[in-house]
Amino acid sequence: MQNDFVVNIIHRPEMVPEYAEKVTGQGKKEDIGRKSLLTESLDIFKFQQETAHKNGLKTTIQMTYASLFNEEAISIAKHDHDTYGDEIALSLLGLPCEEFRKKYNTKDFCIWMFSMEDKIRIVDDVFGKFYDTFGFYPESTGSYYMDADLTNYIKSKYPSVKCAVATCWEEGPKAYHTCNNSWYTLFDGGPWNPWIPSKQNTHAPAANEEEDSGIVAIPHLSRDLIACYDGNGSNFGTHPQNVLRGMIYDTKTWEYPYLYNIIDQYRALAKYNDGYSYNMMFVGPGWLNKMGRWEAPYELLKKSYEDGMAYYGKLKEEGKLKDLTMAEFADYYRAKKPYKEPECALWRDILYGSDKQVFWYADPYMRACINMDQGGALVDLRPYVAKLDWKVGIGTPHVQDASYPFLIQEKYRAGYFTHYAGEGTVRSAKISHGGEEVDLCLCRTKAHFSETPDAKILTLDPVDIEFYDLTVKLQTVITFEKGASAIKFERKILSMSDPSAEVIINEYMVGCYGTTEYPEDMTGITLSVEGGKTPDSLKYEYKCRELSSEGGSKAVASIPAIDTRVSIETKDEAKVYIREGYAFSPMYTIGISKNISEGEVITTWLNLEKEN
Amino acid sequence: MAQSGKGKLNYRCPSCFLRDLDIDMFFDKDKGEYYCIRCQFTGTEDKVLEMNEMVRTRYKAMMQRFEKFDFD
Repeated sequence: MQNDFVVNIIHRPEMVPEYAEKVTGQGKKEDIGRKSLLTESLDIFKFQQETAHKNGLKTTIQMTYASLFNEEAISIAKHDHDTYGDEIALSLLGLPCEEFRKKYNTKDFCIWMFSMEDKIRIVDDVFGKFYDTFGFYPESTGSYYMDADLTNYIKSKYPSVKCAVATCWEEGPKAYHTCNNSWYTLFDGGPWNPWIPSKQNTHAPAANEEEDSGIVAIPHLSRDLIACYDGNGSNFGTHPQNVLRGMIYDTKTWEYPYLYNIIDQYRALAKYNDGYSYNMMFVGPGWLNKMGRWEAPYELLKKSYEDGMAYYGKLKEEGKLKDLTMAEFADYYRAKKPYKEPECALWRDILYGSDKQVFWYADPYMRACINMDQGGALVDLRPYVAKLDWKVGIGTPHVQDASYPFLIQEKYRAGYFTHYAGEGTVRSAKISHGGEEVDLCLCRTKAHFSETPDAKILTLDPVDIEFYDLTVKLQTVITFEKGASAIKFERKILSMSDPSAEVIINEYMVGCYGTTEYPEDMTGITLSVEGGKTPDSLKYEYKCRELSSEGGSKAVASIPAIDTRVSIETKDEAKVYIREGYAFSPMYTIGISKNISEGEVITTWLNLEKEN
Repeated sequence: MAQSGKGKLNYRCPSCFLRDLDIDMFFDKDKGEYYCIRCQFTGTEDKVLEMNEMVRTRYKAMMQRFEKFDFD
């Protein structure tokens, strides 16, 4: 199979770059019209364009509102479009300039945070100015985040738009904290690689033509799928200066193999995605500040950008990379990916030397992360099936918080390990025998990927579970069936030191819901056990109650706050149960337990449905 | 005592960096030291650079070039 590694390189002439005014202007009164700032910004844009072209690479020039007032920026864009085939597009980043401030009388600059009324005013203003300048409407646009209402408006009014930078992967509370709680880009929970957003919610991919927003979304940067989930996203991605920000380089030699490792690991994802892999590099000019950025002097910033481009250039020369503009990519993507085709990433640690491995999966029904370092536990789960109508911006319930809610998030809600009491969110299994209990979260393993036309399959290396008088060899197989909105978990007892012994397997999910580290109100949730001898349900009241039904088929949690119903189901003869949490442990548990012996398998499904 | 400013480079607090916080430090020219306005870190430029190297010890594979990304 011919593998395609597709790369989008994007530059924006931002006349008042983020950071630059704060950095170069330290000790001066704010003046976003300073001539030195404007000159430097354009110099950086020119440098970025020249560096890409020198390496034989095509770019997408995302004109900013401010740059549409600058003759030189316009002239460079036209020249590079004619000479190199670069796309002239329009960014909704880079709004700040004197003209914008005077017109809108605000220092807000993030398009998704404005009121809907202002979003429409600004979009019409910016798109109109672009049309007046170039004589056509753009095919690509973007921001750090594009909420669904914004995208729907743009697509309806400017149908030429077919591609947009629509989110930064896992840029939420972690980035906020890293910036001393002053960087309000709260949009965790999206796909890490391009997708077709639904009309209802940008993060959630469309399942069909009816849900299709009409654009192909690309993430801002291609990020490290382990380091970024655990730490500050802005240190670990295909952004050379972000790698410097993370101090991931040798200070003596100025070498940063990590940058190339990220690019190469993204290339390796072709194996899981029908021969397709993707990268995006989008460095704002503020990162190439002549004053340097944090510890990195300008020379190092410049070198890292040149090296990044040179690596892409080399891959292209070797026939291993396709450089497309955003609009070209949108056409490529639509031809390549049917709506229900998932995006998969089996990702290993390439920075901390741990051999840790995770598997990310996204389709129109869910985003999920399986952690092989925790025995194949599900450690992050977003129910895209709900296609939540989650309005964002001034005048909505979510002025800043654009994250797609989770049911499981191991970093924000503990995961396997908790202090003192209670439980954290995770979907795992516990094996019991003779009064002892072992959670598979403590069985480190590795996964191997395979697929059928209808499913993506992870087969985990068998693990040994050692009890006082019994050793059990167990294997987990996790299957994502396309379009099923379910994850199938199979646990097979391969062997036992006493072949006549029985163990109890407890397949469970501890869940909650939310977008941040802090708990939400759990009242309103209904927990039920279905089928069997004693089907029943209860309303969540933090009373630590339990229900179970022998011979039941399903344990269910309905969470109306996020229009979601999650269940664990089995077709085997088993006991299903639910557990209500309490104030110190605001969680719910749904599970299935069954006796199992050598050679037997227990199969369960984790189902996600839209409530109502 | 005069107000503080930025140094020749924009050093971050290495102590805060270790807890995933990017905090620019300021330079006290009277004492000849950088200091963090969030935590209690103070140090000369040499001390800052030394601690930045310590920060990197968590990146055990930082200088390794990977060619294989699965465990098949």
